[in-house]
Amino acid sequence: MQHVSAEHQAVVSLDTLYTAETPEGIALSLRPAGAAPRALAYLVDLGVRFGVFMVLSIAAIPLGGMGQGLLLVSYFLLEWFYPVFFELTGSGATPGKRIFGLQVVMDSGLPVTPAAAITRNLLRAADFFPFLYASGLLTMLLRRDFKRLGDLAAGTLVVYDDTVALHGQLPDAPATAPVRPLAPREQAAIVAWAGRAKRLTPARLDELAQLARSVTPGQGGDATGRLLGVAQWLVGNRDTGGRR
Amino acid sequence: MTPRLFEAQNAPLWDELEQTLDRAEKRGRDKAKGGNEKGKPPKSAGKPRPLDGARLTELYRRACEHLALSQARAYPIHLTQRLELLTQRAHRLIYRRHDYGIARLRQLVLIDFPQAVRHQRWHLLAATLLFLVPAVAAGLACWADPGFILHITSAEQAQQFDQMYSSSEHAIGRTRSAETDWAMFGHYVMHNIGIGFQCFAGGIFFGLGAIFFMVFNGVMLGGIAGYLTGRGHVENFWSFVVTHGAFELTAIVLAGAAGLQLGHALLAPGRYKRLEALRRAAAEAIVVVYGVIGMLVIAAAIEAFWSSARWVPAEVKYGVGAACWALVFAYLGLQGRPARAPAPAAGSTHAG
Repeated sequence: MQHVSAEHQAVVSLDTLYTAETPEGIALSLRPAGAAPRALAYLVDLGVRFGVFMVLSIAAIPLGGMGQGLLLVSYFLLEWFYPVFFELTGSGATPGKRIFGLQVVMDSGLPVTPAAAITRNLLRAADFFPFLYASGLLTMLLRRDFKRLGDLAAGTLVVYDDTVALHGQLPDAPATAPVRPLAPREQAAIVAWAGRAKRLTPARLDELAQLARSVTPGQGGDATGRLLGVAQWLVGNRDTGGRR
Repeated sequence: MTPRLFEAQNAPLWDELEQTLDRAEKRGRDKAKGGNEKGKPPKSAGKPRPLDGARLTELYRRACEHLALSQARAYPIHLTQRLELLTQRAHRLIYRRHDYGIARLRQLVLIDFPQAVRHQRWHLLAATLLFLVPAVAAGLACWADPGFILHITSAEQAQQFDQMYSSSEHAIGRTRSAETDWAMFGHYVMHNIGIGFQCFAGGIFFGLGAIFFMVFNGVMLGGIAGYLTGRGHVENFWSFVVTHGAFELTAIVLAGAAGLQLGHALLAPGRYKRLEALRRAAAEAIVVVYGVIGMLVIAAAIEAFWSSARWVPAEVKYGVGAACWALVFAYLGLQGRPARAPAPAAGSTHAG
């Protein structure tokens, strides 16, 4: 991911990955969520809020005018502070967002602060303008980090809360030395290829292995097996028995 | 160093960090859950060792180094990703903010809010003028010619206001019970704070929204006040609005000022990037908005339970109203100023 090269730079512009840098100089990778999952999460929350309000209304009926007053106050709280409340709890997400695996975080990748949660939710009034969150949708579509106006002002980001692991452990193979010294980039490419062995189809894996024929010792048959061996050798396995 | 050796050497450290994080995150969850549901059970259930903060930060820093090395040397991606995940979790834990609670609220009410308001004096002045000038103009127009109200509201609405503040059966507060007071309280909270939020949020459209809502509300309120005064409901109307107005009108103007601050930051970002300027302005303005919410809740309570009380003589209401205006101005103007060293300036520290 971080192996910067000319080709990679070109790929970055298609990617919506958002990088936040920590004080230690570590780059955190965040994946901003787009308009569709957020709209769906909003609809779920709308349903939840409506349900809560219905229950409260039934409870408020016997209380008469006082109940009516409390009901209006609770409507107000549900409208403005329901998201604030849930965003400040551990998961940083309303129930709707949690269903779709979303989370609100600060630009820095930290949990959202109370001030930011309140800011972003009060500015929903602006995002709603002139109707049905048109302004918010427009800014979301215009920006690669999908921020609405409230997110811009509060410095927050809605991200997917789990990272996708495309790469795993390298599969077992007897370690074999490559026939020539490899440049760091070549080494990285081979190791990355081996790390994806479990997610690619054998045919595709082999097709890619064929490209690297020139570095594997010996010819013929099992290109995949031999390149996996090279990968093992590259990560430091000098034992030709290939235990791991 | 080969990736395998690197992993073999450092895996114990990563495992320790992972376990520490697991424990800390679990504890945090237990605490949150225990607070909501029962109270103490998690204390006895999950307390293996207290979290060693110094050790955690040390582990975190080492993991950061390892991540940097792993990225620079293009180690296998699953290794890099594991380190990424660990450092992200530790980062979240270490830099989380903890300062909530009563002490924070106290600081907000006694110092931060009035200071933030004074810091905004030019936006405040602009918002006041945007509200007051249209209000006075519409008020004078409606006072001189009651028919002018029809440019502002519909005929039915005007009639309704007329009836509300007249001394008739349907007048405000005459037939109201305690229950209706509560209903009105709810209504005022919902409606007025909503207006406050609109004034603030509208500011993000380069200040235009804030300006619009300030002028709009000014014309509405001024027009109705002028109309009712012109129609001779002087005492009923002014004794009704004087007390809660101190909080309500001030709060609306403050919300407008906060909105103008957002717009100003976007129009004239100064030495920052536009969005960075917006973020800074919002962080400052939100403190004012906290105060606005508080003041509007106070206003709603006064409006529902005191302003509508017909048994209170108008003179008393005027007196209390004047006191409230003085209190609000003193609070916003004086509270939270640093005490001058020798002079015993009692008023400046206890105005609130």
